[in-house]
Amino acid sequence: MDGLKKILSGRFVLGALSIGLVLLIYTIITSRPDNNPALLPPIPDIVASFFTNLAAGTLLDALWASLYRIFLGFFIGTTLAVIIGCLVGWYKTIEYLVDPIIEAIRPIPPLAYIPIIIIWFGIEEFSRVLLISIACFMVCVVNVIAGMKNVPQVYVDAASTMGASRFQVFRTVAVPAATPFIITGYRIALAAAWTTLVAAELIAAPSGLGYMLQEGRRYFLTDQVMMIIVIIGACAFIMDRTFRSIQKRLMIWSETRE
Amino acid sequence: MSEIVVDKLTHTFGKGGLEALTVLENIDLKFEDGSFTSIVGTSGCGKSTLLKMMAGLFDPSDGQMTLDGELIKGTDRRRGMVFQQDAVFPWMTVAKNISYGPRLRGASVTEQREVEAKWTEMVGLKGFEDRWPRELSGGMRKRVDIGRVYANDPDVLLMDEPFGALDAQTKERMQSDLLEAWRQSKKTVIFVTHDLEEAIYLSDKIIVMSARPGRVHHIEEVTLPRPRTDEMRLTDEFIQIKRRLWAMLEH
Ligand SMILES: Nc1ncnc2c1ncn2[C@@H]1O[C@H](COP(=O)(O)OP(=O)(O)O)[C@@H](O)[C@H]1O
Ligand SMILES: [Mg+2]
Repeated sequence: MDGLKKILSGRFVLGALSIGLVLLIYTIITSRPDNNPALLPPIPDIVASFFTNLAAGTLLDALWASLYRIFLGFFIGTTLAVIIGCLVGWYKTIEYLVDPIIEAIRPIPPLAYIPIIIIWFGIEEFSRVLLISIACFMVCVVNVIAGMKNVPQVYVDAASTMGASRFQVFRTVAVPAATPFIITGYRIALAAAWTTLVAAELIAAPSGLGYMLQEGRRYFLTDQVMMIIVIIGACAFIMDRTFRSIQKRLMIWSETRE
Repeated sequence: MSEIVVDKLTHTFGKGGLEALTVLENIDLKFEDGSFTSIVGTSGCGKSTLLKMMAGLFDPSDGQMTLDGELIKGTDRRRGMVFQQDAVFPWMTVAKNISYGPRLRGASVTEQREVEAKWTEMVGLKGFEDRWPRELSGGMRKRVDIGRVYANDPDVLLMDEPFGALDAQTKERMQSDLLEAWRQSKKTVIFVTHDLEEAIYLSDKIIVMSARPGRVHHIEEVTLPRPRTDEMRLTDEFIQIKRRLWAMLEH
């Protein structure tokens, strides 16, 4: 127990140290007399921008707008991915019907849909959520299908010889056996949601973190740009960590948990 | 009543293709109700294939099998199987694995609890009910596997080298436990093994198979009295049977 604590604290200390080092180097560079703060704003400016935007309410508005899109798009995309992926990965008939479509669409980067989505639906909230949903769906569904295809045959055989019907095998064996893959799909989808969100907001949004980035570029508010980058990084990090702890709890039965 | 009859069974993998492989040829066998039969033979002679077909996991390319005169087609809870590989569901606790079969048929929580209590006790895993399979040793997992099949109460028990991966001591204990469970339930047991001593100790009848393609080479009746004891392993009769079977497997 003591040993474990030591390793954990060691890891924590080292992590904090390396981040501290990066911040220190950044501070040294930005405090040189020949530094142009418009390109590399000093840390206090970035912090000041954070508080200014916080006080003005713009930051929370943007954050809320972005998180709303992320959660909605992620939820819709992954839910569809799990339902469709499970069916496609398990039932041969459905696979033969649907898999060619998925395979054809898969290599297309979701951002390529932006123009057509704008043409069809305009620069609306719906368009942005749709784009994130598509991105989440595509990366997640591939994992779910792989999970269903990797269900060990012996589990299926064992369940069948105990009298399980085809649907019972699907529900009580295939889906649980595939959960490690499905959860990985969720995590990759979350990362994809952030990528797509920022891209979508950079191009077409009246609000959100991506919009604030774009605004910062337009008015040359480099400190604001830096601040938003840090916020996005922090949000994505926190969400991924939360996910990991959920994963750990769900995967308690698995030998290969992270 | 639960008697399995195998009638002129032949099986070819990839039939009609370039790499067609006939693994079983013209097998005629009869497994009487309540009997304990072992199947021995070199690895690759088609023992697992035969057992899986009896379970109904796939159909033979020729010939047929019946259970009490009824054609075997598809899986059925009447024919339970313990697989050569580890088949314990890692996402269920020991208890949930044991009560899996009854749960499939909508057993109430109370019924499930009863089954779990009875069979964890029977396979010697009392106190491990809430453990995950990954926390158990290979031998304990095999016990879960066997307990789960028993708890499902099949009429015929197909066992494919269930004790193959266990150490000698665990193996002997599990063999006598199996005989005890069989004595109480009188299921028809078909037991595949490559361990001759195990086959003799357990069985009424031993089927010796030859390889490529798998055929029935010899059927040995074991007349050692029951209940079997560990001392019998050292008797002349036991050793003679072992020597005879051993010579057959050499060729
Ligand atoms: N699904 C399959 N497709 C093709 N060949 C198979 C398949 N399953 C088993 N075989 C082959 O059939 C032969 C018998 O296998 P098996 O029944 O597992 O033997 P045993 O259990 O006696 O060791 C082996 O040569 C094996 O390679
Ligand atoms: Mg085998």
